[in-house]
Amino acid sequence: MAILGFRRATGGAIGVFRARPGPETVNRRRLPARTLPPMFDTRNIRNFSIVAHIDHGKSTLADQLLLQSGAISEREFKEQLLDDLKVERERGITVKARAVAINYELDGQKYEINFIDTPGHVDFHYEVSRSLAACEGALLLVDAFQGVQAQTVANAYAAINADLEVIPVVNKVDLPVTRIPEVLEEIETVVGLDTTNVLKTSGKSGIGVKDCLRAIIERIPAPKGSVDSPLQALVFDSKYDTYRGVITYIRVMEGRVQKGQKIYFMKGGTAHEVLELGQFRPNMVSCDDLSAGQVGYIICGIKELGSVHVGDTVTDYLHRAPQALPGYEVPQQMVFCGMYPVDATDFEHLREELQKMSLNDASFSFAPDTSDALGFGFRCGFLGMLHMEIIQQRLEQEADVDLIQTAPNVTYQIVKTDGEILQVDNPQEVPDVGSIDEFREPIAKVHFILPSDKIGPIMQLSADRRGTYLTTEYLGPNRVQLVYELPLAEIVFDMYDKLKSITQGYGTMNYEVIGFRPADLVKMDILVKGEKVDALAVIVHRTQAERRGRAVCKKLKEEISRHQFEIPLQAALGARVIARETISAVRKDVTAKCYGGDISRKRKLLEKQKEGKKRMKQFGAVEIPQKAFLAVLSTSEDGD
Amino acid sequence: MSTTATAAYVHVPFCRHRCGYCDFTLIAGRDDLVPAYLRGLERELRFHPHDPPTGRTDLKTLFFGGGTPTHPGPADLAKLLQLVRDRFELAENAEVSVEANPLDLTEEKLQVLIDHGVNRISLGVQSFHDDELRQLERDHTAVDLQRIIPVTQRFLPNLSVDLIFGIPGQTLAAWEQSLKQAIHSGATHISTYGLTFESGTAFETRRRRGQLQPTPEDLEREMYALVMEMLPAAGFEQYEISNFARPGFRCQHNEVYWRGDEYHAYGPGAARYLNRRRETNIRSVLGWLAKLDRGLTPVADVDELSPDTQARELIFLGLRRNSGIDRTDFQRRTGWNLEDFAGDIITRQVEFGSLVSDPKGLRLTQAGRFIADRVIAEFL
Ligand SMILES: Nc1nc2c(ncn2[C@@H]2O[C@H](COP(=O)(O)OP(=O)(O)OP(=O)(O)O)[C@@H](O)[C@H]2O)c(=O)[nH]1
Ligand code: SF4
Ligand SMILES: [Mg+2]
Repeated sequence: MAILGFRRATGGAIGVFRARPGPETVNRRRLPARTLPPMFDTRNIRNFSIVAHIDHGKSTLADQLLLQSGAISEREFKEQLLDDLKVERERGITVKARAVAINYELDGQKYEINFIDTPGHVDFHYEVSRSLAACEGALLLVDAFQGVQAQTVANAYAAINADLEVIPVVNKVDLPVTRIPEVLEEIETVVGLDTTNVLKTSGKSGIGVKDCLRAIIERIPAPKGSVDSPLQALVFDSKYDTYRGVITYIRVMEGRVQKGQKIYFMKGGTAHEVLELGQFRPNMVSCDDLSAGQVGYIICGIKELGSVHVGDTVTDYLHRAPQALPGYEVPQQMVFCGMYPVDATDFEHLREELQKMSLNDASFSFAPDTSDALGFGFRCGFLGMLHMEIIQQRLEQEADVDLIQTAPNVTYQIVKTDGEILQVDNPQEVPDVGSIDEFREPIAKVHFILPSDKIGPIMQLSADRRGTYLTTEYLGPNRVQLVYELPLAEIVFDMYDKLKSITQGYGTMNYEVIGFRPADLVKMDILVKGEKVDALAVIVHRTQAERRGRAVCKKLKEEISRHQFEIPLQAALGARVIARETISAVRKDVTAKCYGGDISRKRKLLEKQKEGKKRMKQFGAVEIPQKAFLAVLSTSEDGD
Repeated sequence: MSTTATAAYVHVPFCRHRCGYCDFTLIAGRDDLVPAYLRGLERELRFHPHDPPTGRTDLKTLFFGGGTPTHPGPADLAKLLQLVRDRFELAENAEVSVEANPLDLTEEKLQVLIDHGVNRISLGVQSFHDDELRQLERDHTAVDLQRIIPVTQRFLPNLSVDLIFGIPGQTLAAWEQSLKQAIHSGATHISTYGLTFESGTAFETRRRRGQLQPTPEDLEREMYALVMEMLPAAGFEQYEISNFARPGFRCQHNEVYWRGDEYHAYGPGAARYLNRRRETNIRSVLGWLAKLDRGLTPVADVDELSPDTQARELIFLGLRRNSGIDRTDFQRRTGWNLEDFAGDIITRQVEFGSLVSDPKGLRLTQAGRFIADRVIAEFL
């Protein structure tokens, strides 16, 4: 259990959803006597997730599963077909887990296989843990060249802890250079899985995909639920559709659900009629019923956001399951930032969009917040920086709201002189220095896996970031695992990028928060033209305050354009100014010629200038562009 | 609906060559197109449906701009002027202006001009320094100017001089000299333009490549400040951002633009403003011609001003004038009270020291004039 990392911090409850016939299910009631169409025999169903480190080829292998099972035709094929969000295609990564149902015939027997393609990036681990809860097995892909990486280990443990049958697969075997023997060794020693019958596949060329399907059928157990039990289905995801309302993604554990049935959300406490249900093939295709072991969706025409909760249990309204499924533990957000609509009148619209987004991603949080500088907005929590970027991008793309985002920070603990303990995820909430007894920051245990020749630079980086060295462990002749304790604030923002650049992409990391520790922290205020801009305040370590202060002022000077007047920029700790810059006033800005033919063109040009300014926040007389609010992330004076 | 506009602009798109900083509508080295242009002009003068019938309107101002209106030879020049005179009557004391390039002005051409009622000339002097003139790619020299200006004044005493500042390499002292020479030339009017690097010009390309250094902002400001100090001291009243005149010699035609009044326009790239609609003709000489030859409209772009836009435009133009915006006039023309329309912006800009607001109206301060575009943009 060396590298659990994010798992502990996020989905602690995985592994408890396997529907096992326990004492409570013995007490089953019969469904109303109706003639039902024949259903799929539970014994011929297989459910699994594809898990791996980022980029090890999950979505590409998923393409082959779709193709070779005939779920899609060559004509419909496109690379990483399941990555259908705009952000996913733009960035070439999976952000949302995607469930699919395929049919496959093996040795004359027809099977229904439901699988979930999961994201690999650590920030989306919650997607993985939710997916695992809907499955009996997992394919663990390992890149034939890169071998076992930090999230390979984290995801493997997550699946093992969830009691799933884990099938290791060496993927991308078509690569011109592979390290298959070493990779197998790593799977055995680092992950602890037997590789005697290891599968070797390529999602690119399609090699080994048929063997993979056979292994899935032969090695992953069939679901255990009974069609005759009262309905018990796990809500593992949901999304909002403008026309159809909430689409609820379910894995049926017990019983069956049909069109027209009156169902009940056990935690939400609401009852609805099923208007449509179906499977993902991979597009939504409706069917008449879903029974124990199957994965699909139900639509009940629910328009109220907030009435469907991921992790809830769907049961029959009249014949209720004796107990709800345990559901999911709410993951712990790591970074927080403010999100404000550029146009103040968009506040309600933004709230609605955040609600819709949280329906599709239960792992981020939002709460109303106000700022003197930015007005009404929301304080949002995310599992990591990428998660934050993705949500912001999705809000802008899918919801069409212009946002101003403030610099992210972690959650701090402040012990006040009167003994009260505050959880502070917003620098604005830091009380006066006089009433602070102790300022504490979250500490994470970080596991780095990297080529052994890069130990030196990574140790240096960790030392610069106030890290405490714990252990070194050799995973093979050239690969090593370093374990450190580091302040979370020092790692969430750019440690991953730094690690990648130092190790030329070969280093990976995973971390878990282990607690809070006192540190010499201070709130640094930023003053623009003599006035504190609350949304620019940051919490920093005292030893870094001056450097950060200079970097921030410098960055702000670049971001804020010159005005009609001079704008002094200052960074201050309390009343003490520790850095300053000045944006000089515009000296000359006047068009000489303006005759008959110039008027329309010139007016339109100036109108455009004005339009650009509308998208900035007016603070006093100073216009601050959206991007400037992230300037406080600058840590060094050369502007990174 | 025909209009009562009493101003007309005629664009003459010919030049010897294109100067490096110039983005005007013109075609250089194609004098062969002059007859075709005259044919097109003749058509356009009778083309626009809203224009008044021939002989019905007495123009108070008529302006020939370019390009270089004086570039065509005397016969074509005469024909050009006559075409317009045949189309429009002139009011008594009407101002008839012509832009001119110094080297084009022969006595013969000057005679043609005055024979056709021209009574004001705007001379593209730009600088009294040879190095600067070369930099600007102008074809005349300082010596040429010394000869041409007095000759021109004999025919047309109402002479305006155009000057450019912010020429790469220009010093403040050199600029001061040019201003002095303009003052002492006997001109009745001086226009001073800060050089801009317009997209598509040779200058802009050279600036992008680092071959031309734009004048530092502070120096440019000093140059402009010098203009506003020297010209008024010499008896030239500033009446617009770039324009200075001895008493009684403002350019009436340009004041039409800045008051937001209507005007006719003819020629490639020309823009007219009639019935709250600004129409701009096709810029390409051949394109403009081709349309007219086929009996089609030469208009390329229509800017239909809403009442709101019109009001904003009045502010935009009004603030460029030293007399500013008159509250009563603004209300009469737009129906809005200026304070209701833009009160908070006015308050802010007054606080910044860019505007003066009093019961009569609204004007830029001297400080505001340096950053006029910025102040004006606030109102748009
Ligand atoms: N040569 C080779 N390249 C592959 C193979 N599978 C995937 N790739 C490439 O590896 C990259 C990542 O592939 P994806 O399928 O998106 O990886 P993923 O594991 O789904 O990534 P995330 O979902 O973001 O964690 C892409 O550039 C693929 O083209 C393979 O079998 N062989
Ligand atoms: S003479 Fe005037 S119009 Fe002609 S190219 Fe030069 S600057 Fe432009
Ligand atoms: Mg993927």
